[in-house]
Amino acid sequence: MIDLKLEHVSKRYRIRRESEAGAARNPLVRKLQSLRQRSEEFWAVRDVSFEVGRGEALGIIGHNGAGKSTILKLLSSITAPTSGEITINGRLSALIEVGSGFHPELTGRENIYLNGSILGMRRRRITEKLDSIVEFAGVRQFLDTPVKRFSSGMYVRLGFSIAAHLDPDILLLDEVLAVGDAAFQAKCLQRIGDLKRSGTTIVFISHDLSAVERLCDRVLLLRQGEVVASGAPHDVITQYQNTAFQSSQTPRAEMENQEKLVEIGRLSFRDAGGRETNVLRAGEPFTVSLGFTAHERVADAVFEVFFYSADRELQCQCTTEVSGRQLALEPGAGTVEFSGPGLGLLTGVYYTDVVIKERGTPKFFDWSQWNSAALRVDPGRLVRGKFYMPCEWRLTQESEADATAAAETTWT
Amino acid sequence: MSPDVSSSTIADANTRANAPRRVTVIRAPSLSLSGLTGGLVKLAQYGDLLYTLSVHRIKVRYKQSLLGVSWAILQPLSLMLIYTVIFSFIARVETDGVPYAVFSYVALLPWTYFSTSLSNATNGLVSHQELVTKVYFPREILPLSYVIAALFDFAIASTVLAGLMVYYRIGLTLNALYAVPIILILTMFVTAVALFLSATQVRFRDIGVAMPLLLQLWMFASPVVYPLSAVPTRLRGFYLLNPMVGVIENFRRAILQGSPPDFKTLGVSALIAVVLLPAAYIYFKRVEATVADII
Repeated sequence: MIDLKLEHVSKRYRIRRESEAGAARNPLVRKLQSLRQRSEEFWAVRDVSFEVGRGEALGIIGHNGAGKSTILKLLSSITAPTSGEITINGRLSALIEVGSGFHPELTGRENIYLNGSILGMRRRRITEKLDSIVEFAGVRQFLDTPVKRFSSGMYVRLGFSIAAHLDPDILLLDEVLAVGDAAFQAKCLQRIGDLKRSGTTIVFISHDLSAVERLCDRVLLLRQGEVVASGAPHDVITQYQNTAFQSSQTPRAEMENQEKLVEIGRLSFRDAGGRETNVLRAGEPFTVSLGFTAHERVADAVFEVFFYSADRELQCQCTTEVSGRQLALEPGAGTVEFSGPGLGLLTGVYYTDVVIKERGTPKFFDWSQWNSAALRVDPGRLVRGKFYMPCEWRLTQESEADATAAAETTWT
Repeated sequence: MSPDVSSSTIADANTRANAPRRVTVIRAPSLSLSGLTGGLVKLAQYGDLLYTLSVHRIKVRYKQSLLGVSWAILQPLSLMLIYTVIFSFIARVETDGVPYAVFSYVALLPWTYFSTSLSNATNGLVSHQELVTKVYFPREILPLSYVIAALFDFAIASTVLAGLMVYYRIGLTLNALYAVPIILILTMFVTAVALFLSATQVRFRDIGVAMPLLLQLWMFASPVVYPLSAVPTRLRGFYLLNPMVGVIENFRRAILQGSPPDFKTLGVSALIAVVLLPAAYIYFKRVEATVADII
């Protein structure tokens, strides 16, 4: 049974570029000029066909701008395709951005009705589900308080809770898991898992590759609006990471139009065996290698690599700042390497920010970020907790033969 | 969280799995009559949203405002006072023997309904960008909810008319019931204009800017502050093309004079409304298909 079918679906956007040169002073004349000007065409989605079976969970991954969100908008009827046909068998709900459509002046209860109706629920159905929605969000005491007095956490929890009670036949999810605290996220994932087990068809679009791998039965990889791979989650995700690794480093907006004295080059990772990779293992030796080009002599530079988890929370950094050593750069290219005996990051995908700055000043030479996951960490040495802490151990035992003992554990 | 909360909702997901499902096919947008019927079916499914959103408009408007619902009365009432001062003390307007206050107020009721609907509904799509780009629902619900909220204001403001009529000892006759079909024609017309303007406003924001001026001109082109009889006969044919003429003049006639409407003038308004409404709806649905891209 096929619940969702796309046949040769394409979506074209027109972008009108406003050229500064030769533009008339008079706004009316300029308007006429721009009307005559041929607009540029941009295919956000091009000839995409796929099917999703009943009860299947399909993941869609790709860089920013690969067409993921456009596909979601097409599926949820927010915008119409330029050509092609989409067939939807059943009731479809999209959980695109949690809490869109809350009105700050209205109370929690009023907003549940408003938001629920916007998402396509009948009032009678909302009344039936009200208790369950409030319970799930944990906002019972605040039900009759205007939501403008809600904390951002409560806001998000209530938004997700309403959407999670839609009971659609087909559920579209877009980055919704990147909200709330860890406990609530786990609850959301559990809820989605329950829906899946009860036969709901799911399309999940996310940057969080580990969540995609956990949840989905099949994954599509998009590049420039086209499907370039489809198959088992692990295979497609690995293929994606190999390309993501090379292409998605972009300068921060702050760095545009700024002259860079030192420029960030290539960031790469090497595993215990010295092989270049973008999959490292927790607890095993690693090397982070950062290329750069200095255009002028710099008296004292600081190199930093930040690691962010999928929910964009800073986990840790590699930095030359705390070493206390002066790091003078001569004009030319070079590499800074950070290495360690045991990677502290746990299993998951990580985004990176790279910064080269001048010590002691707020001046950044260069700053770039990865828009998609740069690094994946697979389970290496099995550890529990929040991070891997390298340690050595030694056993000392009092025996009859040898009575001397010193209980000692060496922590590094 | 107790586990039974989620299990209760999952259970009905299972029963649903066997229920017949609706098949939806999405294609490239086109101007067509099937868009009209398909759109109406979808609109009916979202009837509850139209209700909730209309109630929401009314609530939000009067929440945290000192005078609350009385604003619905104050607007036509203060206009009535101003026009009464101008047109019965300073410049005299012939009102066929009716006191000017009630003469103008009875016309200001449908006029305020019309102008409030339009000035709010025109921005209906544009002011809900964050919703329109993120969630799908039939977009006509946004402008329609403003029309319904304005109809509510109309009902509230009508109570003052009752007071004025008691004060001036003007009795109602059975012909006052003609007010119902007249308001129905007005609602159809205002809905058509609201759909057209809100969809066009997405691409040309000039419309929102021009609205206050347009409404001002439109009011003076309708028999609100003067009677239809004051319009020179040779201009009448042209003047009657404004559907608000038939609506306002006949509303006043049914309420104040207690006589049946002039079916010629009302017929023109009804005809325009009946033709315009489906045309505006088809146009709106065509714009709706890609509204999220250009808003």
